[in-house]
Amino acid sequence: MIASPLGPLWAALATVGFAVLFNLRRRDIPIAALGAAFGWAVSMPITLATGSQAAGLFAAAAVIGLWAELVAAFLKRPASVYIVCAIIPLVPGGGMYYTMLASVKGETWTAVTEGFSTLQSAGAIAAGLALSGAVARLLSIRRLTWGRGLRNPPK
Amino acid sequence: MSDAYRPTDPEDVLLLAADAARIVLESGGETYRAEETAVALSSSLGGEEAECFATPTGIVLSFTGLDGRVHSIVRRVSRRTMNLERVARIDDLSRRLQSGKVDFDGAASELDAIERLAGRSAIVSAAGAAAGAAFFTLFFGGAWNDALVAAFVGALLSRFTLLFARRAIPEFVANLVGGAGATFLCLVARYLGLATSADGTIIGVIMLLVPGVAITNAIRDTIGGDLVAGVARGADSFMSAAAISIGAGGAYQLWTLISGRMG
Repeated sequence: MIASPLGPLWAALATVGFAVLFNLRRRDIPIAALGAAFGWAVSMPITLATGSQAAGLFAAAAVIGLWAELVAAFLKRPASVYIVCAIIPLVPGGGMYYTMLASVKGETWTAVTEGFSTLQSAGAIAAGLALSGAVARLLSIRRLTWGRGLRNPPK
Repeated sequence: MSDAYRPTDPEDVLLLAADAARIVLESGGETYRAEETAVALSSSLGGEEAECFATPTGIVLSFTGLDGRVHSIVRRVSRRTMNLERVARIDDLSRRLQSGKVDFDGAASELDAIERLAGRSAIVSAAGAAAGAAFFTLFFGGAWNDALVAAFVGALLSRFTLLFARRAIPEFVANLVGGAGATFLCLVARYLGLATSADGTIIGVIMLLVPGVAITNAIRDTIGGDLVAGVARGADSFMSAAAISIGAGGAYQLWTLISGRMG
């Protein structure tokens, strides 16, 4: 991963592009972009300090998740609208591509290591989002009738 | 409307709830959200013991109606286009139904409006794709001229994916051709001296196609206990990545052949 000081800016602007593609409402776009910037600003130093990319991605996903839950509670919108766009700079799409490219080229070992680190990254992000979702529910930011687990909401 | 019409006819509720869940899945919403939407809509309109089972490709919904009979429906989900505004509006609609702020007729006409909610125009989408590709190129350490090339190729790519989707060309083929075309154009751009680094430009553009969110959602679904949905999404993202890289690998090969001939 690259450690450019402009990283958060590029991450936010790339997120704007994707938010347009994903048909996000106009006033939601800056919120998603800000989330992406926060996420990358958290992920970079933690990755450098711990030497573990998964740790950085986990923290970034947790921060993005909390930010999204907070804004979503205020605006009464689903948090995942912001999460889906803001995690795009973190998400290991490139890793999926490099894994398959290595297998197409017959470089089995590269494919295995790339594939493993891709799964690890995706797992770290998913765990970070699960954590922030759980925290939001504990603080009951998210309304309980609309939480996962209550399959038949009270009438 | 005739006198015999009953707004809370279980069959109507069933169709409404299943359609809402289908739109959630078609617009890029999560599997659990589709299930919760269907259950919330049917229970707030009189369905008892509502249960929904959704996977990325289909929905099964069943409940006991006010008439005491069990009603169920199966809906297949085929086309998928990201439209998060639809997901947000259905979420809002379902909350208002639950709190009784809207009745069946209101919900039905609102859902109809949500389904017809158009995405952004082709030009705006192309601009979004261009911005996404360009800033990802910069994000991955590319230079300014690389970003400009990526913006151009990214806009072209978004036009092609739209065209392919309209002609109902399978996603695998679309990804294959998209990956190959984008890679080839970036290699040509470097040959012409427009881009400094082909690899940085290619990965910036390819970010528009790669299933990064899909693989993350696959793991999120699996963590959440939606095992079938998780495995299905995992397989889906695996196939997309395979198609893109077969295309990209092919384009590399072709380019080596051509540039070898040209000396």
